[in-house]
Amino acid sequence: MPDSEKDKIGGGGTLDGSPTGAPAVTKAAGEEAATSQYFFGEPLVGFDPSEITGQLVVIEGMDGSGRSTQIALLQEWLESEGFSVQTSGLRRSNLVGRDIDELLAKNAVTRLTLSLMYATDFFDQVEHRILPALRAGAVVLADRFIFTLIARGVVRGINRDYLSGLYAMALRPHLTFWLNVRPETAFAREFKKAQAISYWEAGRDMSLSHDLYWSFIRYQTMIKREFEVMAKKNGFIELDGEASVSQVNRQLRLKIGEGLGIRATKYTPSAALAHLWR
Amino acid sequence: MENQDTFKDVVKDPGKKDARLEAGKSTLPQPGRPVPSRAYPGALIVVEGTDGSGKSTQLYLLKRWLEIGGYRLHFTEWNSSPLVKSATRRGKQRRLLTPTTFSLLHAADFADRCERQIMPLLQGDYLVLADRYIYTAFARDAARGCPPRWLRNLYRFAPIPDITFYFRAPLDVAVHRILSGRPKLKYYEAGMDLGLSYDRAESFRLFQARILEGYDKMVESDNFVVLDGTLPVNKLQKQMRDIVASKIDLKRFAPRAHAPEQE
Repeated sequence: MPDSEKDKIGGGGTLDGSPTGAPAVTKAAGEEAATSQYFFGEPLVGFDPSEITGQLVVIEGMDGSGRSTQIALLQEWLESEGFSVQTSGLRRSNLVGRDIDELLAKNAVTRLTLSLMYATDFFDQVEHRILPALRAGAVVLADRFIFTLIARGVVRGINRDYLSGLYAMALRPHLTFWLNVRPETAFAREFKKAQAISYWEAGRDMSLSHDLYWSFIRYQTMIKREFEVMAKKNGFIELDGEASVSQVNRQLRLKIGEGLGIRATKYTPSAALAHLWR
Repeated sequence: MENQDTFKDVVKDPGKKDARLEAGKSTLPQPGRPVPSRAYPGALIVVEGTDGSGKSTQLYLLKRWLEIGGYRLHFTEWNSSPLVKSATRRGKQRRLLTPTTFSLLHAADFADRCERQIMPLLQGDYLVLADRYIYTAFARDAARGCPPRWLRNLYRFAPIPDITFYFRAPLDVAVHRILSGRPKLKYYEAGMDLGLSYDRAESFRLFQARILEGYDKMVESDNFVVLDGTLPVNKLQKQMRDIVASKIDLKRFAPRAHAPEQE
């Protein structure tokens, strides 16, 4: 297990990075020192930080940045190294995962409500999936985290401080990777995958353009700008998502291996995952 | 406090500039349209109080009075958005809810009503009556252990009521009203998730005591109009109507004048 310095990789300070900030994320100094290692702000209700023995690794990046491919490979690698792995991702909670799918399909939801449904989904997974795994010493690979949720809200006009306050009780990751790709590349990859671009991925609810391609590019560019702001404040490890799968994977393994004390980070995917190794 | 435009502070039209800032930049007065202190002309009346305090009965009677008078109004209830209902029901049935997710689901429910009913109606010059409002979440979720500051931020988008009636009834009276009228208390309703007691009635009592304490703390900070929930129904209603008539310019919500019909 890592020493206490490694635990602090997420960087200090509040999520929005502003020293004055919203009243919602400022905190008495003594209390902050005790919890900021684990949370962005407020501690989660009924949570004991001393129980955490696992590692939380977050992979962020836009659709088409290669997140899910990398997570599949990392899970296999970690399991082959003898680590137990849990994954999480957006809309995967038992509580509201399917409800959000339905709301999206119907497109009958307003932005604040949707944002709060995603927050519910997120915290349900924190409490029922991520924390139990971290208590059991597992490595949690999170396919996206609060950063995507905050960026999506901000570009839709929801106050940044409001969202930071909302996610103040989120666990602070040990490592946050940002697979950065150009929106044009992401578009090509996504299109190849599904032969179509979804309404939400293109940010069509924002009326940016009736042209699907331009809507996608403009929306993802706005999201990317938000990520650039958050990357500095939250100590993201930025990786070039346009590099080959194996190159990106090697860098991920190096960093994650360092945190877990895995020395040799050599890895070749099994036959089942060989098709991902491009 | 009353004039603060909380909703627009949290949710803006992306890409559009803040109207108030824009107006502030202009050196000329806007002809015929003074810079509004808030973005809506409607009015919001809220009732709060513990279960069994009599608040719903009183709001119903207030609503009847206004309806009979022909005023433009809309009535909204806590925890009633169809969008979020199935999730709440499932969470309660399977006991999946923690203090955090319980609170967030109710906030999502409120946001849906706020974005689709309360705000549009306030902007459309309606009188909006709310049976329970954000103070219910502040009192109840804090009783479950949610950090008060986190809760305040969560509901920061809520428009601040013109009047918040707080129906205060002593714990014994309120608990007796509920327990005598209801055969079985539900799990979350009784606060069983807090592990205060194995006995539902006892758990409910302890939970309600915490909530009552939470309400009492907000009386000053949130400008509650405190009414005595033990008074006879009609007396209480008279007080309520007098206060509404004195604080709100009801003429504004009266039926719009039509030209006299010609025979």
